[in-house]
Amino acid sequence: MLSPDMTIAAEAVTKAKIEVKNLNFYYGQSKALKDITLSLPERSVTAFIGPSGCGKSTLLRVFNRIYELYPKQTAEGQVLLDGQNILDRSQDLNLLRTKIGMVFQKPTPFPMSIYENIAFGVRLYEKISKAEMDGRVEQALKRAALWTEVKDKLNASGLSLSGGQQQRLCIARTVAVKPEVILLDEPASALDPLSTAKIEELIDELQADYTIVIVTHNMQQAARVSKQTAFMYLGELVEFDKTEKIFTSPREKRTQDYITGRFG
Amino acid sequence: MAEHTVAAFDEDLGQISRLISDMGDLAGSMVGGATKALLNSDNALAQRVVSDDAIMDARQRELDDRAITLIAKRQPMANDLRAVVGSIRMAGDLERIGDLAKNIAKRVGTVGLSVTPRDLSHSIDAMAQLVLIQVQGVVEEYAAADAAALAKLRNDDERIDVKYTSVFRELLTYMMEDPRNITACTHLLFCAKNLERIGDHVTNIAENAYYVLTGQQLPANRPKQDETAMATSA
Repeated sequence: MLSPDMTIAAEAVTKAKIEVKNLNFYYGQSKALKDITLSLPERSVTAFIGPSGCGKSTLLRVFNRIYELYPKQTAEGQVLLDGQNILDRSQDLNLLRTKIGMVFQKPTPFPMSIYENIAFGVRLYEKISKAEMDGRVEQALKRAALWTEVKDKLNASGLSLSGGQQQRLCIARTVAVKPEVILLDEPASALDPLSTAKIEELIDELQADYTIVIVTHNMQQAARVSKQTAFMYLGELVEFDKTEKIFTSPREKRTQDYITGRFG
Repeated sequence: MAEHTVAAFDEDLGQISRLISDMGDLAGSMVGGATKALLNSDNALAQRVVSDDAIMDARQRELDDRAITLIAKRQPMANDLRAVVGSIRMAGDLERIGDLAKNIAKRVGTVGLSVTPRDLSHSIDAMAQLVLIQVQGVVEEYAAADAAALAKLRNDDERIDVKYTSVFRELLTYMMEDPRNITACTHLLFCAKNLERIGDHVTNIAENAYYVLTGQQLPANRPKQDETAMATSA
């Protein structure tokens, strides 16, 4: 546990990467997020927890505007990435999505080779030589702790990998385009404990370079990997605090009831 | 407190808190019994306190087992986590209180043989009463979830320390007056020291119980009044 002095010092040096201000979100008429305001520190892992339907995945989906792929979904308020409102129509969506990568619950490798799974995304944004691309692929796979397992079969299909390897391939693909923020939506819920541990280890390493937001139903996972935790319920942000505070002595009774399994 | 969705979780936590409550009752009866045996030279009662300690040890082992199993099975969080970890620590202190009471009980025979202890042990009696109130109080207040009372009870340990200092001086005086008192007084001094340490364990229990209930640690510094280290030339 941090001493009070260290906590203050740590807060002084971390700046906010994403600031959410009075965010409301609607699926048609139904309000899914209610006046959310919170600030996610840079190069740090933030966890969103809460029961199904509480809005945590919705909030995550606002951060890269992926919700715009669906009709009748609207966001009001501000989401500032380095001070720029990403909900602003004038924002370049492609540029935004290079800055904010996302990994989903089920591994989603493209039906192509391991190498191409990574090169494909990079080529969308950059023109680089074959040698540079080789380097980029290797670096991304190393970053995702997958390199030693796949370096001799880069031309094999991404779909031939195990579930845990596929998920790390997706993380490698995300890392390869050099994002600033990585959104993880239940990244380990379909994985066995060993693969889960590898993903968690990876998250721990990646936070040195990236701002990470993770949605998880696994309370112990949130407690293990994150520095701050947000508890959401029925579209509201109930409590947002240091992870150790949330899991040892939360301020709000609703948070305590949820994390101790007393809900409903 | 709302119930857990998994009812067996409540049952597991309930068993642990019943064990703490049992151990607390047993600690109170051991401290009370040991003091009474000491003051009345009651060897039979002293024997019972000695054998009660085995029950205390068994209870603590049972609590440890249940707490470890609960952590493994249920991964408790927040207030549940504090309750389980706090119980393990409180059980440790209660077990030590049992040991110290047993130690007092074992001295009953020796003190009784050398002199009539009644004359020497008036102030120990008063000290023991204070300690007993503290031991019984701490378990009651925890069961009643009264954090404010626990904070007060912790500070009340100061009164035991003051008492201990005066017992120490008194016994020293008796020994100087008549060297034939030395054996009995030395044993009584150990008994007084044991009582004082029981008070310290009660303080630990109060601090743990306060943390379990509130999630806050009491401030580290508490007034200290044990001056026996300076009183050797009384």
